[in-house]
Amino acid sequence: MFGFFIQRIVQAAIVVVAMSILVFVGVYAIGNPIDVMIDPAATQEIRDNLIRQYGFDRPLYEQYFVFVGNVLQGDFGQSFIYRVPVLDLIFSRLPATFELALGAMLLASVVGIPLGIWAGYRPHAFSSKAIMTLSILGFSLPTFWVGLLLVMTFAVQLHWLPSGGRGPTSDLLGVPLSFLTPTGWSYLILPAFNLALFNMGLLIRLARAGTLEAMSSDYVRFARAQGLKESKVVGLHVLKNISIPIVTVFGLEFGSTLAFAVVTETIFNWPGVGKLIIDSIMVLDRPVMVAYLILVVLLFVIINLVVDLLYGVLDPRIRARRSA
Amino acid sequence: MLFRKNAILAITLALIGSTTLSSAVLADDLTVGVRAGPDSIDPHWSTLGSQAESLRHIFDTLVGVDKDLQLQPAIATSWTPVDDDTWEFKIREGVKFHGGSDLTAEDVKFSIDRIPLVTGPMSMTIYTKSVESVEVIDDYTVHVHTKGAAATLPNDFIRMFIVSSEIGTVGNEEFNSGAAAIGTGPYKFVSWEPKGDLVLERNADYWGGAPHWENVVRKEIPNDASRVAALQSGEVDLINYVPATDYAAMQNDSRLDTFIADSVYILNITPSVKDTLPVKAKVDGVEIDANPFQDLRVREAMDLAINREILSDVVLEGLGKPANQLMPATFFGGSTDLPAREYDLERAKALLAEAGYPNGFEVDFACTNNRLPGDAAVCEALSQMWARAGLTVNANALNGTVFFPAQQAGEFSLWLSGWGTLTGEASYTYGSLVHTADPEKGLGAFNKSGYSNAEIDALLEEGARTLDDTARAALYKQVTELSMNDRVLIPTVVIQTVWAAKADTLTFEPRVDQETLAQLIEPVAQ
Repeated sequence: MFGFFIQRIVQAAIVVVAMSILVFVGVYAIGNPIDVMIDPAATQEIRDNLIRQYGFDRPLYEQYFVFVGNVLQGDFGQSFIYRVPVLDLIFSRLPATFELALGAMLLASVVGIPLGIWAGYRPHAFSSKAIMTLSILGFSLPTFWVGLLLVMTFAVQLHWLPSGGRGPTSDLLGVPLSFLTPTGWSYLILPAFNLALFNMGLLIRLARAGTLEAMSSDYVRFARAQGLKESKVVGLHVLKNISIPIVTVFGLEFGSTLAFAVVTETIFNWPGVGKLIIDSIMVLDRPVMVAYLILVVLLFVIINLVVDLLYGVLDPRIRARRSA
Repeated sequence: MLFRKNAILAITLALIGSTTLSSAVLADDLTVGVRAGPDSIDPHWSTLGSQAESLRHIFDTLVGVDKDLQLQPAIATSWTPVDDDTWEFKIREGVKFHGGSDLTAEDVKFSIDRIPLVTGPMSMTIYTKSVESVEVIDDYTVHVHTKGAAATLPNDFIRMFIVSSEIGTVGNEEFNSGAAAIGTGPYKFVSWEPKGDLVLERNADYWGGAPHWENVVRKEIPNDASRVAALQSGEVDLINYVPATDYAAMQNDSRLDTFIADSVYILNITPSVKDTLPVKAKVDGVEIDANPFQDLRVREAMDLAINREILSDVVLEGLGKPANQLMPATFFGGSTDLPAREYDLERAKALLAEAGYPNGFEVDFACTNNRLPGDAAVCEALSQMWARAGLTVNANALNGTVFFPAQQAGEFSLWLSGWGTLTGEASYTYGSLVHTADPEKGLGAFNKSGYSNAEIDALLEEGARTLDDTARAALYKQVTELSMNDRVLIPTVVIQTVWAAKADTLTFEPRVDQETLAQLIEPVAQ
């Protein structure tokens, strides 16, 4: 088990280093951030001073090692644009994205998995065919289009829900959250649903495929022969056996939903990190880009670790193999 | 199982129904949906337009501007040159900071001196570059000593926000938290976070009269469709930068009012006139060493081939106006004598033939695709218009992140870019774009075309030394006419911008700098 952790941490470290180098080289190749930001009326002297002040005149490797040195002391630097520590900037917006992504994944699972199991359990029923058609729509419709449609319908036409923003939040252990109040929910529900659609379609398909396969297996036949109720057969035996791929996909998708919720965040004006990172890329705000991507890498590593641990919980055979 | 699902669905819908928001906004509150907000609450941090716009609620500037960007008194009640390199500013008496202390000459000096120490990468030192030192004469008089004669100093100070000298050495964090965000402006700072809402409350003791709205929220909604939806759903009272497509629809919508106005932004074409083009032109597929743009006839032909009516009415869907110079003609130093640009394809072809390119030539044409509304569309339309004159122009619309560094490095042969005359006077624009690139003199910083004309340079430099307004305006008018006739840059269209509000709720007069200021917005009298 311990070796497993070490291996993961080393992998993460390599990815983080490779990625930070990529960002540095990438920004360097595009050009000088000062040229993007500076006011057209600036004189050459002002421009040169700024370039010196931010160290853009130094060779790339030097800029990189200064950065690495600071990071090793726990300092990710300050945003060029806001001149506030990048970690403060990112963490002030992370709860919003986290809440949105988690809401979306839970919504996708709660709706998607039961529907998928039903579709696999009664593959020829009309309802199953309808579910499958809907699932195709779920992952083939572009998010931004569905998002706009949702806003037009529920906010502009029906006036049921707000068109965007996060609304008032309430604090839980110092973290501002929306889901604690009905008003918060009214802001959360549309973007969460929009973000959930793709994953819902994916989970429906996965659960259906797994169920189809499981239904024809021996253990289902034996369970039925034992006289177990159908709800027990599906809810216990089938669900357990199809959960490994579902957990895997859930983990992967949760990571990417979290890291790349930017389209939904933009349409619903959700104050998450996605919007922050896009804006940072637009102005080549390198410290924010690097710190955010490092965070994303760590997040993926943690999620994958949790997924691996869950395998053991779900499947005794994996547990046995690992302890062996 | 399905039964239970239906029950859950019903409950969920009921919940949604019960939490439906009442979008009724209190009568004395104003919520504005803006495309962009500030990067910091420190008014000396950045030259960004949306920064100045936001902070103008909280802080006052030394010199004010009206809606046409012409100077008017603000914290300074008057400004006069006392000798060639000294300006005297008289400070308004009785102005109080939000904390209660009086604004005096010390605060003005503190603010001007503070800029070089705290400003960020969008450096505000461009406004203080001619300042040598600031001297406090008495509580309400300040002398600004300049490096040589600086005729445009009052224009440089239209974004010179005055902060209290009591704040000491502080930076963005203290301002963002509100601790140092103490101005003299019509609104007091309540809260803000990067890319989030800026919340303000009325300053009842404002020297210029208390503004109407009790509470103001400026919501940052960068996405165009989302901003429009926020207005339509009633979450905000007013939005800026309505996209052209929505503008057409809104004009037929009785629930919404629209306000349209010229902006200071004009899309200009710049041909490089260097001896060797960065990317060489081709004739019949073969690279040539000569730079065709060095020939005025070629530049004129390209100008004549542009149909500006089409650009304004079709390409920009009505949100544009033909331009014949780099800034509005009524700005200080503009020319009302320049005729409108003609569209004459035959003459364009004849001029090209005369210049030795009867079959045209091929050249690359760069432009931005996210800097100004319609920039990429105008770019592509231009390349088609030139095609009719026999030129092969390869339009290449780039993200600003890529475009600006490449432009700065001089990698383009021909490009289209937007320019806004933010100070409302000519030396800002022509000094930067048309004067020979001369780092020593601090002029021509954005002249990347290699253009150099001794006559124009001399006029611009003389203007900078001429403190008499009438004489200076005449000098700059000559610069405008000379450079426009020489097609140093070819202006195409003025970008127009649109605001929208719920019908019959607000009175709003658009400003040429496109600022949306709560203190200038009033409810419609019932």
